[in-house]
Amino acid sequence: MAKRRREFRILGMTPSEIFKEFISGSTGKVAMALFIILVVVSIYALIVLPPNFAEIWNNPKYWQLNPQYAPPAWIDSVIGPVYSQQIYVNNYEYSVQQSNGVTYITISFSVDYKYDKPWSEMFVVINNPAIYSLSQPPVLSITVYRPDGSEIVLGPLPIDRRVTTLGVVPEVVGQVNLFYAEKYHITGVIPTGSSATPYIFYTVDGGKLTPLKGVYNFRLVFYVFSQNASSLINKEDLEIVLQGQIYGLMGTDNEGHDLWLGLLAGFPIDLAVGLLTALIIVVIAVVIGIVAGFYGSLVDEGLMRLTDFVILLPAFPLLIVFSVLFRWNIWYAVVFLAIVSWGASARIIRAMIMQIRNAQYIESAIIAGASRMWILRNHILTQIVPYILYLLVTNVPGAILTLTSINFLGLAGSEYPTWGMLLYYAEVFGALTSGYWWWVVPPGLLVAFVAVVFILTAMASEPVVNPRLRYG
Amino acid sequence: MGLARTLAVRAATLVILLFIVLFVISFALAGPASKILKDEIMMETRSIIMNLMLHGHYNSTQIQQLQMQIMTQLENAYGLNKPPVIRTLYIMYNMIVFNWGYSYFPSEYGNVGGGKVIDIILSALPGTILLDTFGILLSALIGIEIGLRSALKYGSRSDRAVMYYAALSNGIPQWWLGIVMLLVFAFYLSQIHSPISFPVGGIISPKYYSLWLTNPLKIFTIPQAVLDLLWHFTLPLITVLIINVGGWAYFARTVVLSISQEDFVTFAKIKGLPEGHIVNRYIMRPAAPSILTNVFITIPFIIFGGFLVTEMVFHWWGLGYVYNIAIVGSPVPDLPVVVALTYASTLLYIVIIFIMEIVYIILDPRLRE
Repeated sequence: MAKRRREFRILGMTPSEIFKEFISGSTGKVAMALFIILVVVSIYALIVLPPNFAEIWNNPKYWQLNPQYAPPAWIDSVIGPVYSQQIYVNNYEYSVQQSNGVTYITISFSVDYKYDKPWSEMFVVINNPAIYSLSQPPVLSITVYRPDGSEIVLGPLPIDRRVTTLGVVPEVVGQVNLFYAEKYHITGVIPTGSSATPYIFYTVDGGKLTPLKGVYNFRLVFYVFSQNASSLINKEDLEIVLQGQIYGLMGTDNEGHDLWLGLLAGFPIDLAVGLLTALIIVVIAVVIGIVAGFYGSLVDEGLMRLTDFVILLPAFPLLIVFSVLFRWNIWYAVVFLAIVSWGASARIIRAMIMQIRNAQYIESAIIAGASRMWILRNHILTQIVPYILYLLVTNVPGAILTLTSINFLGLAGSEYPTWGMLLYYAEVFGALTSGYWWWVVPPGLLVAFVAVVFILTAMASEPVVNPRLRYG
Repeated sequence: MGLARTLAVRAATLVILLFIVLFVISFALAGPASKILKDEIMMETRSIIMNLMLHGHYNSTQIQQLQMQIMTQLENAYGLNKPPVIRTLYIMYNMIVFNWGYSYFPSEYGNVGGGKVIDIILSALPGTILLDTFGILLSALIGIEIGLRSALKYGSRSDRAVMYYAALSNGIPQWWLGIVMLLVFAFYLSQIHSPISFPVGGIISPKYYSLWLTNPLKIFTIPQAVLDLLWHFTLPLITVLIINVGGWAYFARTVVLSISQEDFVTFAKIKGLPEGHIVNRYIMRPAAPSILTNVFITIPFIIFGGFLVTEMVFHWWGLGYVYNIAIVGSPVPDLPVVVALTYASTLLYIVIIFIMEIVYIILDPRLRE
């Protein structure tokens, strides 16, 4: 005789039947596909981002070579070569000479300038502190050979810090101004306070500044006032960066943060806060629901009054005021939000348990001598598990949206950049009045994406948890 | 008799809720959050001292004495020298009698009422009422109509489209859509010198602003001002409609679907009644109260959720925008305004809930017994 296998069934369906029911509608398929995308991107984000990403993000020095407020780099392939790309010069010629106690290090490279908007700045970075802290710092002189045959000589500039910003040195500004005065007889080309670097790439045509396109050759000579300095400035320690006007996949913000990384970082943190809030809500709701539904009478009455209270609380204004008063970070906001939003879920759980409790088979079980715990474990918990999962899913989008809103007010922040915080800084730094769409559109889209994934999942699982909606 | 009792119990619950919220906020303000108050006193003292040093002749010991004196005086004025329990009660009392004090930065609010918090909040009410009433009622009307139609065509392509639209509009933050609308219809339209472009925010043009703040009703007697208001109103209203219609449609669809599965509907179909008759008599009638009551019950939740932040984005002179000024627009959080706003919101919220519950009882005959 074949042994009868005990089947695991929830709501009269085996797990594979539930899955089939879920996937049967088009909503279920879409939800499933989006969910997989969400999980894959989140895992990718966790792999790509370094573990100390929060520290890096909040360190302005790390981002200082990036352009500020730069649109994404791919817009050049859409509207043609208008904005110059960020260039990290690494294929340069490198030679060392020594004479009379001075070491000359010559570096030459060329760049092809074919854009309408030139590079906004040029940085010379020396990563070896032994060099820029010499008693007599090295000196740098730069010669630029322009496509029209003219040349601009810049420097000598003392190299006494890690990052030398070429265009803001007063001497360089003077030299570029002088170049325009001698060659084109116009004075004061560079407005006070702006960098001289872009003006290296301009010419004067009909009395107006126009970009001069072509190949520019740069020759940098470092004068180091000591013997054997070749070991001091070598290729690993030297970086030359031409700061573009566009950057990366998603552009940059006011501090030059690579927004692509900021958006990626939003996946783990926003999912974490959303899921954690939903989890706490559901745990409280289940405990309250079971206690109320199971013990009945006075306990039930009291707990339901409490639930009514919680449902009525104006969660968002309270979240604002406490975030201001206590200077909460996002984790406190998560806990608070969960504590004021479990009401509706608890009501649903209680209603479920009341329904189950009055069923015939529970009565039979009690007559047969089953203990409360046994009934709870074998009859009640197994039946409410799908509802618990369903509530978990339905509570996530609301939590993410509320926490994004509170972040958008600049409250309840975290070290890790959330999408709401990106939007807050965008608003504060005038993204709206200056049209920085790349800073405003993607974070909101991602919030909407994550919320929609959970909403669709909830919608698709409605036929599973609500048998009346199952259509043949 | 029973009706009066139900309402009385409900009113009592709501009043207790208000007191609990009030107590928690006051206690937080009096106890753990008093450090913020101390910081602000320190800042205020420093600015007074700076002024004195610029305009008077004092030596350093005199300055130090003065500083101490001002600090203790201010701390006494704010009641920081009293025990937290007394201060909590004191704050609660002041809140209840609408003595909400003065804003730290009255100029940020256009010096409404000389910086009196109650006047600032009162001046913000008309804006909130305007946007919320129109936004909610219009979106509910449109949404319910769409929901009905899609439920009657269950499973069709348009029905599925409504479902996805509902999911999407529930997931998009309303205020973010507002930002995008501003970017497109205010910033880019004026960028390309389009003849029609919308304002980048605000409730009304600057020349009418002072009138709006003091006497908003008078605005409606000036035709140009009304047009100007409508011009400012367009983008916020469209944003609110796009987001809220989906939710209503989905809800109405669910209600109508569950009713159209009832036995009496099936029976009517078997009887061979005409389709229009079934919809009007057998589906719409039982569905109406439950849809309408839901509209009323959710109003306060909608207002004090997404609408607040939407007002901030559009610089729409309402409670939300005042919140924004008090939190983000001021050098330090403007505590009197933030706290009073939260209390005022809770009060308003509770009043609305109570009114809606009366409407609910009137609409649903089962509850009258």
